[in-house]
Amino acid sequence: MNNFKQISIYIILIGASIISVFPFFFMIVSSTNKSVDVSGGKLIPGTNLLTNIQNLLSTVDIGQALLNSAIIAITTTVLALLVASLAGYGFEIYRSRAKDIVFNILLLSMMIPFAALMVPLFRMFGTISEIAPIIGIDTLASVVIPTITTAFLIFFFRQNTKMFPKELLEAGRIDGVSELGLFFRIYIPTMKTTYAAAAIITFMSSWNNYLWPLVVLQTPKNQTIPLLISSLGSSYSPDYGVIMLAIVIATLPTALIFFFLQKYFVAGMMGSIK
Amino acid sequence: MKKRLLLLASLITILFIAACSSGDSDEANGTSNGNEADGITVWAWDPKFNIKALEIAEEAYKAENPDFQLNVIENAQDDIVQKLNTSLSSGTTKGLPNIVLIEDYRVKSFLEAYPDSFHEITGSIEVSDFTPYKIAATSIDDKNYGVPFDTGATGLYVRTDYLEEAGYTTEDLQDIDWNEYIEIGKKVKEVTGKKLLTNDHNDFGIIRVLIQSGGSWYTEEDGVTINITDNEPLKAAFKVYKELVDADLMAVHSDWNQLLEAINSGSVASIPTGNWFTPSIKAEESQSGNWAVVPIPSLPEVEGATHASNLGGSSWYVLNIDGKEEAVDFLTSTFGSNAAFYQDLVTEMGAVGTYIPAMEEGAYEISDDYFGGQEIYNDFTKWSEEIPEVNYGLHTYAIDDILIVAMQDYLNGGDLDKVLESAQKQAETQIK
Repeated sequence: MNNFKQISIYIILIGASIISVFPFFFMIVSSTNKSVDVSGGKLIPGTNLLTNIQNLLSTVDIGQALLNSAIIAITTTVLALLVASLAGYGFEIYRSRAKDIVFNILLLSMMIPFAALMVPLFRMFGTISEIAPIIGIDTLASVVIPTITTAFLIFFFRQNTKMFPKELLEAGRIDGVSELGLFFRIYIPTMKTTYAAAAIITFMSSWNNYLWPLVVLQTPKNQTIPLLISSLGSSYSPDYGVIMLAIVIATLPTALIFFFLQKYFVAGMMGSIK
Repeated sequence: MKKRLLLLASLITILFIAACSSGDSDEANGTSNGNEADGITVWAWDPKFNIKALEIAEEAYKAENPDFQLNVIENAQDDIVQKLNTSLSSGTTKGLPNIVLIEDYRVKSFLEAYPDSFHEITGSIEVSDFTPYKIAATSIDDKNYGVPFDTGATGLYVRTDYLEEAGYTTEDLQDIDWNEYIEIGKKVKEVTGKKLLTNDHNDFGIIRVLIQSGGSWYTEEDGVTINITDNEPLKAAFKVYKELVDADLMAVHSDWNQLLEAINSGSVASIPTGNWFTPSIKAEESQSGNWAVVPIPSLPEVEGATHASNLGGSSWYVLNIDGKEEAVDFLTSTFGSNAAFYQDLVTEMGAVGTYIPAMEEGAYEISDDYFGGQEIYNDFTKWSEEIPEVNYGLHTYAIDDILIVAMQDYLNGGDLDKVLESAQKQAETQIK
């Protein structure tokens, strides 16, 4: 009986794994096949990988797009982590009467879909372009700036700060550490797992961000990876092998970062539930 | 402590400068902005089709204007719509191109919503040089805005080998209506086991083709009044569609990828679609000689039904920003008046235009061995002149979505009149 239960659990788990891994499998296999074979649903690796690589490199500048995406994602992650953790820390550690009201208003901003903010935001950047073109429309900075603070990340840091042992701060104060010092020398090192989880979330959403970069970036030189992939599929007769190859390349960085930080990620997420 | 803060601060500064600098260098090159750019910026979507056409046009134009510079920016069609909508509704001209390619079905909503953002080109092109349906699609109240690019003139692509097996030739497909074609389809399926055609239930292209061939559209001539309940061609098209489904002659695909697969693997016997589909058919070289193109069947029991219709097709529009004069000059001297250029378009990439002098000068008299020596481009241009003129109006895709649901009700056994009546009501409430 026990055995039967075990076996059925494993069958379900194996089934679920196959279902979740299949898209990756298909993506990788398809990147080695001709477009016609991809549409035909061929599931065996082909011999077209080199041709696909050649076609990809000759049609688009994927190196530039990777670089753009990397600059945007890394800058966003560093800045967002710093700003959001300072805010989350402040909300939890310091006392103020208005604190909860401000925090609730902040949370409400999570309810506004980005599509509703897009036109006013674009208008703002249009004005900024006239004053300071280096952070205006069609610059990488214009992609970074609106995504630095997100209500979600502040909320995430505040929730995790709840289980931060505040006695550490008091001990620090007694030893004469400044308020900023408390944050940088005590809080950050203690909250490493939270930072790792937040870094993964921010990096991934920035790496995959589509709508805002699409609207605000104009020149091919500034194109990010998702925009590049979208334009590869725009043709009336798209080359699916090449598209799949581009998707493999686009997926690698996030996959690597996830594997690298996975341990911390799970710990960080668990923390936010506790 | 201070050291660490300093380190962090400098790290952030470096990253920020890195992020800004690549934008900065763009400004220096002057390519980031349609307003200030050297040369003309264009948004278009298919590197093998309309972007290639632009390159050919650039070459032709450069012969006379050696200093001319064209910057083509490639974006998916939906992305162009999104970008254009955001830019125009925010009232910011920064980053807009000088020229944008817009599909004929969609353009009226842009022209009506942002009338001052587009540059009127009336008088710059000779209207009588283009097929009338195309001018109707690119103009508002006799004001011309678009320079026509390609025609979406439709034909019925058929597998001659399957037809032959069932005892038919392409002669049997001339001047027939859909009921007769369905009978032929039943026979073909009986003999070869292949379905007659394939369609995506969520893509109403085929219905649009059918109703335009009957001289009708979702809206009346004003482009706004919803025309569903009393629309005879639409009713006839719904009946044809149901008949195709009920007789099990319609294979179903769910995206472009599967459509190509169905055609290239030979699992269906025909496909009624726009002439721009030709390269996709020819992608499967092994089927060379097995295809032909015939006029689409007409709608049964509809007065004035024709064998000509349109699917897709797009035109160039000039935005009302600095550089518009140069943009207009580029478009009118190539797409607007150059017959030899149209010949290059068809020989190099199979794009069929709507420029009548090019048709008269024999630009399209090219026999194609893939289609058994048929002069398909010539046929398409002939048919394109017969396409009934309709006003595509402002809401084509919105009404599409409503009718797609209505079709499901009808296929599930609903009464046609009632189904269309409720679609009409829904469309009226949804669209003001």
